[in-house]
Amino acid sequence: MSPRKLKTLSITAALALALSACGSGGTDAAEGEPELLSAGELTVCTDAPYKPFVKPDKSAPSGYSGFDIDIAAAIAEKMDLELKVKDAGFDGLQSGASLAAGQCDVVVSAMTITEEREANLDFSDPYYDSKQSLLAVTGSGIASLDDLDGKKLGVQQGTTGAEYAKDNVPDGAQLISFPSDAELYAALNSGGVQAVLQDLPVNLVHTGEGEFEIVEEYDTDESYGMAVKEEGSEDLLAAINENLQALKDSGDYDTIYEKYFSTK
Amino acid sequence: MKRTTKTRLTRGVMYLIFLAAVAALVLAADWAAIQKAFFNVEIAKDAFPDVIVVAAKNTIIYTAIAFAGGMVFGLVLALMKLSPVAPYRWAATAYIEFFRGLPALLVIFTFAFAVPIAFQWRPPGGSAGAGLLALIIVSAAYIAETIRAGIQAVPKGQVEAAHSLGMSGSWTMVSVVLPQAFRIVIPPLTNELVVLIKDTSLLFIAGMAIQEQELTTFARDSVSSVGNSTPLTIAALMYLAVTLPLTRLVAYMERRGARGR
Repeated sequence: MSPRKLKTLSITAALALALSACGSGGTDAAEGEPELLSAGELTVCTDAPYKPFVKPDKSAPSGYSGFDIDIAAAIAEKMDLELKVKDAGFDGLQSGASLAAGQCDVVVSAMTITEEREANLDFSDPYYDSKQSLLAVTGSGIASLDDLDGKKLGVQQGTTGAEYAKDNVPDGAQLISFPSDAELYAALNSGGVQAVLQDLPVNLVHTGEGEFEIVEEYDTDESYGMAVKEEGSEDLLAAINENLQALKDSGDYDTIYEKYFSTK
Repeated sequence: MKRTTKTRLTRGVMYLIFLAAVAALVLAADWAAIQKAFFNVEIAKDAFPDVIVVAAKNTIIYTAIAFAGGMVFGLVLALMKLSPVAPYRWAATAYIEFFRGLPALLVIFTFAFAVPIAFQWRPPGGSAGAGLLALIIVSAAYIAETIRAGIQAVPKGQVEAAHSLGMSGSWTMVSVVLPQAFRIVIPPLTNELVVLIKDTSLLFIAGMAIQEQELTTFARDSVSSVGNSTPLTIAALMYLAVTLPLTRLVAYMERRGARGR
C-alpha cells in the first residue's frame, strides 16, 4: 500500500469514528423506559400508500389511516405516546437504513419477516399473517392456478407472490412480472394477463374496483412484523410486543382487522 | 509578472481545483459500503451467464427491431414531410411533433395497457411486442427528422443535374438524393441507435416474462431477489460495453466527414 493510500484510509477511518461517535449520543432514558427519538412521540416510518395497510387520510390525526397505522396508533395510545407517521421509501425501510439513520423509532410498513431482513433490524412478534391470492375476471372460468395452462399470469417483481407463482404454476402458463401493482392491475384490466397472483389484501381492494374476484387463496407461512433498529431498542421492542399482545387479548385487534380485511 | 508565468499559474490553480474535487469525492465516499452494495463478486458471478444469453441478447434484439422498424417508418415520414402534397406534410409534421413531445415511457404504457382497452386489440408479441411497437413509433419520429435534414442537405444541383439527364422525380430521389443523404445522416443515426439501446430499458413498464427480460428488467428483478444492487452495476457495464464503442465510432465518422468536406 502506498503512503498516500494509507493516508486516505486513515482520514476515512478518522471520519468514520467521528461520525459513529456522534451517533452514540442521545437521550439517556431511565432503566426499562423505551428510548425514543423525541420524548412523548412514537415516530413510525411507512411506505405510503399501500392500501389497505396505509393510505393518506386528512381526517386522521397522523395524516394516514389503514391497518398498519391503526395498529400502530393503538399501541402508541397504550404507551401514552403521540403517533407521528413519516412516509419513506421501502428500500430504506427493509434494509434498516432508515432506522440506523435515526429517521424513526419503528417501521410499520406491511413488511414480511424474513431472515435477510433480520440481519439488519429486529422484528416484533407478527401482527399480520399474510396470504397470497389469485385474482381473475369474474366468470372467467379460472378457479385455480391449474386452470392457467396456456394462459398468462401477472405477478409483481420481487414479491413473495412472484416466488410462490414461480414454484407452483403449471408448465404451460407464462409468468409476466410487472414493476408495481399499478401496472399489474392495468395489465389485468387490458387483458394482457388472465389472472394476477398478489397479496390477498391488495387483491381484495381490486375486487371492489372492477369485475374481479378472488378465486384462490394460498398460505405461504409469512407474517408481517414491526421493526426497530438492532441495538438500543430492546425496551421499545418489549413494550411493542407487550401492547400488541394486550390488543389481541382485548379484542381491539380483531375490531381493526375486521375493518380492513372482512371478506364478507 | 510575465504573461507565460501568469498562464502557468492559472493552469496550476485549475489543476488544483480539479484534484481537490476528485479527492473530496474519494474521501466522502464510503468505499466499504459501496463495494458491499454494488460490487459483490459472489452475486456478480451468479448473474452469469443469464445476463448475457438472456438479458443482453434481448436488449440487442429489441434495439435491432425498434431501429429497423423506426428506419422504415421514419423514411416514409421524412418523404411525407417533404411531399408537395400539403396534407401529407401536415400529417407527418403532426405525427413527428406529437411523438417527439411525449416521454417514451408513457407511449409504451399506452400501447401496453390503454390501446388494448380502447380498441380491443393487442399488439402481437404480448407485452414486449406492445412495448416494441411503441419504441418503433417514437424512434420513427426522431429518425424522420434526421433523414429529412439529410435529404435537404444534398445540394440542389444534384437534383437539377439528374433532371437534366431525363431522370424522373422518384428515380432521382431513390438513386441520387437518398444515397447521398444517408451518407450525411449516418453519424446522427448512430446516435439515434445509442439512444434506442438505452430506451429499451423502459420496456420494463410493459411487464415481461423471464425469457423476454432485457438488461434493466433482468437487473431490477435480480436486485429484489438477492437484496443487493450489484446486478445494476453489471447491467450498467453491459450497456457501456455496447454504447461506448458506438459513440466513439460516431466521433470518428464525424471527424472523417469534416475532413472530407
